[in-house]
Amino acid sequence: MTRLFWWVRTNSQKYLLEAVQADLAQRYLGRPPPVGRPSLQRAFWKYVFVPLYRRLPWNVKHTVIKAMPGSHHRDWSAR
Amino acid sequence: MAREIVVIGGSAAGMGAAGAAKQVDPEARIIVFTEQQDVAYSPCGIPYVHGKEIDSFDRLILQGKKFYEDQGFEIHYETIVGGINTKAHTVSVPAMGDVRYDSLVIGTGFQYERPDIPGVDLDGLYWVRDLRNAERWDQLLDGVKTAVVAEAQPIGVEMATALAHRGIETHLVDPHPWAMAEIADPDIMAPVEESWRELGVNLHFNTRLEAFLGTDKVRAVRTSDGEIAVDAVVMGTKKVPNNRLAAEAGLKLGSTGGIIVDQHMRASAPDVFAAGDAVEVPQGFTGVPVQGLSGSHAYAQGKVAGSGAAGKLRDYQPVYVPWGLVGGKWMIGGVSFGEALAGALGIPFVLGIAEGISRARYYPDFKKIRVKLLAEPGTLKLIGAQLVGGEGVKERCDFLAMAARKGLTLHDIAWMENVYSPAMGALNEPMALAAQNGLSKAR
Repeated sequence: MTRLFWWVRTNSQKYLLEAVQADLAQRYLGRPPPVGRPSLQRAFWKYVFVPLYRRLPWNVKHTVIKAMPGSHHRDWSAR
Repeated sequence: MAREIVVIGGSAAGMGAAGAAKQVDPEARIIVFTEQQDVAYSPCGIPYVHGKEIDSFDRLILQGKKFYEDQGFEIHYETIVGGINTKAHTVSVPAMGDVRYDSLVIGTGFQYERPDIPGVDLDGLYWVRDLRNAERWDQLLDGVKTAVVAEAQPIGVEMATALAHRGIETHLVDPHPWAMAEIADPDIMAPVEESWRELGVNLHFNTRLEAFLGTDKVRAVRTSDGEIAVDAVVMGTKKVPNNRLAAEAGLKLGSTGGIIVDQHMRASAPDVFAAGDAVEVPQGFTGVPVQGLSGSHAYAQGKVAGSGAAGKLRDYQPVYVPWGLVGGKWMIGGVSFGEALAGALGIPFVLGIAEGISRARYYPDFKKIRVKLLAEPGTLKLIGAQLVGGEGVKERCDFLAMAARKGLTLHDIAWMENVYSPAMGALNEPMALAAQNGLSKAR
């Protein structure tokens, strides 16, 4: 299960970053987006996951992200 | 009977833990296992020795072996721990058998992500990590005419600068459109790129690594843009937690791959603590765990873990991640989120940007500084910052991290008091100008 959450976070982070890097590269530098090796997995994250994620409001995204396992579910009440 | 505290790892987290444990319980028996030949040195300084800014690797060593012996630490150098049994409270060490602990601190650090491409096991690929290997490589670099830095993560940025300072023909290859694209924004890295070009670094952005070519030793790098003949490759890939031991021991890992800990740096098994690059801790604004921070984070976490291991629980806090490094002739840095990371997560923000100077405009050698602040819409609380400048970046990042921790807003920063002294600071503080710019956009 740990491996699954790691896989989801690693891939979602990578492709969400790539999408915003594409926007910023164009806006600030006039450069093309990051290059990646074409694959079915890449196509899924890029063309299905990223557009869906971007449609959600931040509070929904935040709730989903925080539901993943991690140190934040342990006691950090001294903050 | 003296408490027995075992520490795995002799870097910032491990030695921070050992030192704190000794302070709390001077009678404790503290046993440190490290795979390396040294403890308590600064690996972060290695690129600067390669770049000849620092004249010797010895300068990176904080204390010699004798110091730790005299302090009563039992340090086992070049010793690999084979496993952890959290039920029996033992670690297994091939040469020693099972070693019992009352408390255990895991500070196993990081390893570099290995690109999944052919040739990654060839000789001639330099993974910058430990001091002795760096010394060996420093001699080898004397004979290197051309090198590729494979990926522009922070260590890649520092090593590209170091190799160029050394006069080596340097090629920086990265699939992203700019360097450190997962952390820094393109406008922050633009001056760094310009100074790399001045130093003669060949930049290959939007370029994928496809293979390291050679029979035993690397002789070329194949990229999506062609082949580059090389004498050596410096690996500048991402750091990932080195958590094989923790995972095999059944400790819980989070979505970052880091060991799950609480505010006392306690892992998920009794009497086991963990710290440094091996763990994940919550980010202050989002609460989302992050991993792979700086040496100062590792050291502070180690202190908390070591204190707890010796019987006195202390609290670590969620992080706001001030960071900084040198790229080309510029200092770059930030706090928590830039446009790239906030944009990727989908965190809404108001942006304030300003360019200022580090000293009075008439004082010699004043440096430009660009400050970018990100604030939460509505409350205008600071959630992130990015900076590039010739000086004064570190101090501003430290201040802005504390400002974010304490919930300061653009209003607070826009009209902050600042030191004005021609040799030290300009009339207009660049952070205040950036906040004023953000306020005018938020209206």
